[in-house]
Amino acid sequence: MKVVTGVIGNDIHVVANRLMDLSLTARGYEVFNLGVNTYLEEFFDAAVETGAEILLISSLNGEAEGWGREVKLLKAKYKSLDGLTMMIGGNLTVGSGNAEDIVTRFKNYGFDLVCHQVDLNTGLDMLEEYMQEQKHS
Amino acid sequence: MSTNNNKLLVDIGSTYFKVSTADSIEQHFRDFNKRILDDLMHKCGDIVQSYEPENVHICSSANGGLSTLIIGLTHSYSLKYATNIAYNSGINVIDSIVFQDIEEYSIPSDLIDVVIIVGGIDSNGGVFDERLTSYLDKLNYSNVVYVGNKNDAQEIAKTVERLEILPNIIDDRLHIVETHLKDYLTNLYQQDIEGKEDIKDLYEVTGNQIYSTPFVVNKSLPLIHTSFSVTDPFILLDIGGATTDVHYSKDLVSDNIVTEQGHDRIVFKKLGVYKSRQSLIFTAENNEYAYELLMHLKVTENIYNEHSEKATKILMQLAIFLVLCKMSHYRPAYVTLKLLAMNSIVFTGGITKVLNTEDIEDVVAFFYRKILNSDHKPVTVLDSDYDIWTLGATEHAACQ
Ligand code: B12
Repeated sequence: MKVVTGVIGNDIHVVANRLMDLSLTARGYEVFNLGVNTYLEEFFDAAVETGAEILLISSLNGEAEGWGREVKLLKAKYKSLDGLTMMIGGNLTVGSGNAEDIVTRFKNYGFDLVCHQVDLNTGLDMLEEYMQEQKHS
Repeated sequence: MSTNNNKLLVDIGSTYFKVSTADSIEQHFRDFNKRILDDLMHKCGDIVQSYEPENVHICSSANGGLSTLIIGLTHSYSLKYATNIAYNSGINVIDSIVFQDIEEYSIPSDLIDVVIIVGGIDSNGGVFDERLTSYLDKLNYSNVVYVGNKNDAQEIAKTVERLEILPNIIDDRLHIVETHLKDYLTNLYQQDIEGKEDIKDLYEVTGNQIYSTPFVVNKSLPLIHTSFSVTDPFILLDIGGATTDVHYSKDLVSDNIVTEQGHDRIVFKKLGVYKSRQSLIFTAENNEYAYELLMHLKVTENIYNEHSEKATKILMQLAIFLVLCKMSHYRPAYVTLKLLAMNSIVFTGGITKVLNTEDIEDVVAFFYRKILNSDHKPVTVLDSDYDIWTLGATEHAACQ
């Protein structure tokens, strides 16, 4: 399965992104890693060019909120991304925040899976489960 | 060993032509009632005839280059990569179309020299459909090349006649692959130059291939430090009569395009001070700061209607300002340059005969203050003797 990943906005925290690339590859995904400093439009454009099924965004430095609000508006301009599974993880707010509120908010922004300060492997297990469910439903 | 002492270098532009020998450079306004060869021989016949054809090297940008229309999937990848390759091959981009919205675009009436179709990595496919063919059916073009994903190539070839299929310009890691499309476009441009009746005439005086000027200038950029004190990163502006060419160091773009060469090129087609004068004025009238610039230069908009030396000078200053705007965040074109990181700004072409360093620095400083809120001051370098062009042409002549 093809997955596009990267770190959104002007965020340069690269460590999790490298680990993400390795873990995804180890789990058998075909990974398109856009790296740090990636804008929302580039994520969507990469999904179009690759035909990816999954978009997995990291945000570590606290920018996620601002970008989250843009997601629906921008995604609506694309005619071939309706089937795209969208996931976001990392530090999704400034400071600690209440995880439940954050998850609800980001789901409203259009993400199918939201992992605020969730360990990478736990998150990728969630993804696998979710994809399985999608297949059966 | 000095190779060019016995060589004559000729550059044919849309407005001027210049003739360079080991000890002098002459520049002449073109007479549009004459064919290029007649004009050249009329004004510089003695010089030209004193050289053997194999020692005469000619380059031309007179026909303004070839035009392309690009159809791709996304702005960040297919369209951006194809645009980059087109510009670097000396081709002008007329329009770029995002395929999913193709039905909403108007059809340009001008003849397009080459249509580029691109999109998807090779493991993707089925990204184009019959809307492509129906668009192409209405379009007036001479060549069409496909550089998208492998899977769709044969399907498109069934419906698009004379489709040239080349390897994908996007690799499996979403990186750019330039070679094949670049060679194809460079050759096309080359054939076009040679096919122009006016240019063909010139083979009476040269035994060498006639090249496009951007090709020659590009050759000289890596050597620029040998003639000028230019600090990287820099941009080189060639504001001509019809178009403006900008060559810039790769370091000035933060981008997903990783290519081998250190410099890229972009062309602003309708920005020039003679043939494109009207569209330059139009652009100025639509720029809210241009009026302030005129005030700063102590003239009014009436200057647009004047045809004087002073008017030409002001228009050139305006052109510098507008090009910088187009390359900055203020008016994003297809690339945005990190202009605050730029250390040198080099000017070549006719502009260096009209403006002095002070005139230029005045506008550049105005731009940085107004648009970027900064006192940054890149070093201005004037190539008033066409050294850059000579450098490229010499380098090229030496290779032949
Ligand atoms: C190293 C570091 C830096 C380095 C980065 C070097 C580099 N190029 O990577 C430097 C010094 C440059 C830096 C700069 C900044 N940093 Co910093 N940095 C850190 C630090 C100490 C460690 C980050 C790290 O690499 N961790 C190791 C990796 C493996 O873990 P991780 O990033 O947390 O990711 C894990 C999970 O989040 C998860 N994950 C990540 N993405 C995703 C996605 C999905 C889908 C899933 C499921 C899981 C997942 O997987 C990882 C492993 O489990 C953290 C604090 C901390 N201890 O976490 C702060 C931290 C991330 N930085 C922070 C800040 C604020 C900044 C700056 C703004 C500081 C400043 N004022 O200048 C700048 C921002 C620069 C920028 N433009 O982005 C804050 C962010 C606060 C927030 N979000 O509210 C933190 C949390 C520190 C803090 N407590 O305040 N930083």
